[in-house]
Amino acid sequence: MSNYLFEMRRIVKEFSGVRALDGIDLAVRPGECVGLCGENGAGKSTLMKVLSGVYPYGTWEGEILVEGKPLKAYSVRDSEDAGVVIIHQELMLVPQLSVAENIFLGNEIRRFGGLMDYDAMYAKAEALLARLKLKDVNVAAPVMNYGGGYQQLFEIAKALAKNARLLILDEPSSSLTSAETDTLLSIIEDLKREGVACVYISHKLDEVARVCDTVTVIRDGRHILTRPMSEMTTQSIITAMVGRDIENLFPKVEHEIGDVVFEARHVTCWDLANPNRKRVDDISFQVRRGEILGIAGLVGAGRTELVSAIFGAYAGRYEAELLLEGTPIKVRTPEQAIKAGLSLVPEDRKRQGIVPLLGVGDNITLATLSHYAHAGQIDRQAELQTVETEIRRLRVKTASPELAIVGLSGGNQQKAVLTKMLLPEPKVLILDEPTRGVDVGSKYDIYKLMFELAAKGVAIIMVSSEMPEVLGVSDRVLVVGEGRLRGDFPSLGLTQEQVLAAAISHAAEGPAHAA
Amino acid sequence: MQAQKVQQLFVRYKILALLIAVAIIWVFFHVKTDAAFITPGNLSNLFRQMAITGMLACGMVFVIIAGEIDLSIGSLLGLLGGVVAILTVNEGWGTWPAIGAVLVLGLLLGAFNGFVVTKMRVPSFIVGLGGMLAFRGIVLYITGSSTIAPAPDDLVALGQGFVPVELSRWIGGIIFVAMVAITVRRRMRRSKLGLQQAALWIDIARLVAIGVFIAGFIRMLNDANGIPIPVMILLGLLAVFTYVSTQTVFGRHIYAVGGNMEATRLSGVNVARVKLVVFALMGLMCAFAGIITVARTGSGSPSAGTGGELDAISACFIGGTSMRGGSGTVYGALIGALVMASLDSGMQLMDVDNSWQMIIKGVILVLAVWVDVLSGSNRNA
Repeated sequence: MSNYLFEMRRIVKEFSGVRALDGIDLAVRPGECVGLCGENGAGKSTLMKVLSGVYPYGTWEGEILVEGKPLKAYSVRDSEDAGVVIIHQELMLVPQLSVAENIFLGNEIRRFGGLMDYDAMYAKAEALLARLKLKDVNVAAPVMNYGGGYQQLFEIAKALAKNARLLILDEPSSSLTSAETDTLLSIIEDLKREGVACVYISHKLDEVARVCDTVTVIRDGRHILTRPMSEMTTQSIITAMVGRDIENLFPKVEHEIGDVVFEARHVTCWDLANPNRKRVDDISFQVRRGEILGIAGLVGAGRTELVSAIFGAYAGRYEAELLLEGTPIKVRTPEQAIKAGLSLVPEDRKRQGIVPLLGVGDNITLATLSHYAHAGQIDRQAELQTVETEIRRLRVKTASPELAIVGLSGGNQQKAVLTKMLLPEPKVLILDEPTRGVDVGSKYDIYKLMFELAAKGVAIIMVSSEMPEVLGVSDRVLVVGEGRLRGDFPSLGLTQEQVLAAAISHAAEGPAHAA
Repeated sequence: MQAQKVQQLFVRYKILALLIAVAIIWVFFHVKTDAAFITPGNLSNLFRQMAITGMLACGMVFVIIAGEIDLSIGSLLGLLGGVVAILTVNEGWGTWPAIGAVLVLGLLLGAFNGFVVTKMRVPSFIVGLGGMLAFRGIVLYITGSSTIAPAPDDLVALGQGFVPVELSRWIGGIIFVAMVAITVRRRMRRSKLGLQQAALWIDIARLVAIGVFIAGFIRMLNDANGIPIPVMILLGLLAVFTYVSTQTVFGRHIYAVGGNMEATRLSGVNVARVKLVVFALMGLMCAFAGIITVARTGSGSPSAGTGGELDAISACFIGGTSMRGGSGTVYGALIGALVMASLDSGMQLMDVDNSWQMIIKGVILVLAVWVDVLSGSNRNA
């Protein structure tokens, strides 16, 4: 059983004196899928960068064996030649280039004189996509014509074009719908049968449970355990990752639900590129004081567009009538929205949430800076006091509030962004995917905070693609499908199947209601 | 380990590395010119030369931090200088009303640039290119392509005069006392809030260095008639711009807009207004620089300020401003301007051929930014 394809032994990697990896072992057999689990900051990405040659041989200690022989990779190219290909969480495709050009990027089939052999590439690209059971793809069309699910599979095709024997998938389903994730997982199962090995990194443990044969858990740069999946449950993986038992993922606190505080009527958003297409089509809903309203739906259903329009941040043309505490409010910019009492924590933390080079404290006070200023001059003492209090309250782990926020882990960045949007003391808090890319511990803190806020009477609107989260946190769930409201359910007794059925029910006439 | 510590020190106190670079350049020229470089007379001239680029750099550093660029400033300087010359020489305006009018005009033209960038959403690079041509065209038109002279004496005094010796001593003393007070107050506040303190010896060393620097600066320039008025204006602008960038809401918003415009917009900041004001300030700085240019030469030349945008942009980048916006300092940009001015002055003293002067300045610009990238302090550039 020890005929490993790849083996990493006692890997140690230091960054200016800090041990990011401290003696980690990882081994993969041909046709085996190993799930690599750990909280954000546990060292998963660092480990994969060692394996894929991003950190050249010699900058770390330990050894990597390929079929028993040591691999000394000085570049990504070297490790790709050995058959290790990594697929990053953020897809590395050039949107304007064609599918085939992307698949062979850096690896082009050439004819004499460096000319591109398009015929050969198209034929081979089609063969590769057929192997992934992808039909109806025009390999000569630009990648941007295809959705996130397709693009993820193009990445895999690109890896296969490089004769990958070990695929490293880093959070591959983070931007996929559940149907697309399903396709992805079954393709991985097919690849396993063909003898391709995988390392699957994901926070979504049900995916790990489905596709992986073995689980390796690391924590704080140390190897915690490696066991066959059959001996593990998602609960025992979480326990190993966190190092403590999280009894209940959703620390639900009873909170009183009051009167309607916010109402959105006839929200309609038109597509940026295609002005005839409606991304959101006449959605109306209400939220009550102290209520947590979940908005579920497939990726691309129009949920983000809906909440951006409410917050005055939608880039294209849109219409919306908003009422706060019964009086109509005019919101056309985020500035007006915040003044009116709305806050939005956006979906894409890196692009829309943080100002990377500014300090943690400066990020936290960005939305409320004028509160700490007299005649335009910032009172640093007042500012720092607030920052320190908030950092302690939300348990943001940072050495100093002056450290650039980009150096924090995803979970801590998210807490800082959340704090920023809480400081204006909103009556309605909109959270778009509040726990995406966030580790289990921070997730718990964020849920706890949401319940505390609800208990104080804040109305919370939460867009989420994680079904257990929607069901575990919300008091009521709206389901959005293809820009329309497809359902409005109380969360008590609601099942994932019901939500999914509403989200994909093309035939449904008007919103469905739970019996 | 020691080398790493030194590197960290430089990353943290980038100003040190820049000052050392200036010192090396000065010593080099001093040796090469048989001790003619570090003399009160020459340095007085050097600072006066640097004042105009410095004023432009003050405005430009905000523009670049906000993630934009403005290529029109050389031509705008020429235009505003031309207007002040026409108003005083041809139209018979008094010097002060003319200066006031030109400052307002600069602010408005800058705001117009900002309007085209933010509201009409034309990329600032293109707006700058267009302005570069158009403003130069306007100045050629209104001056009839000829130099307008002679500028009135009170205007010329602004460019060629000196701050009285006694007054500059007082100003130096007040600045030093203020620096001490600020440092003491900051240390007290930080210890009260339990924040990380810079080591005491670093703060003391900093104050001593500042004190020696101010005393030396005033003493030396007083040996040559005193501090030139344009230099005094530049120092005033340095104080104002540093204050704005570090102490005000508007300053913080400039960094935030340049660092991540989308995140800043979603935090409720009116990003268009921030950029508009930044461009308006840039226009105001062009007015300052234009007026001083006319005052120095005693005439309004239609070609004044040609290439000024490149000097100002180079000064910002040598001074460690990030290409991608979001980081940079005003004093860094001014030291960058000092580096450029020192090279100009030294090479002129050495009688280096003009072609070589350009080659060397170009190489130094690229080298300076390369060193900055290597030091890792500017990883985003």
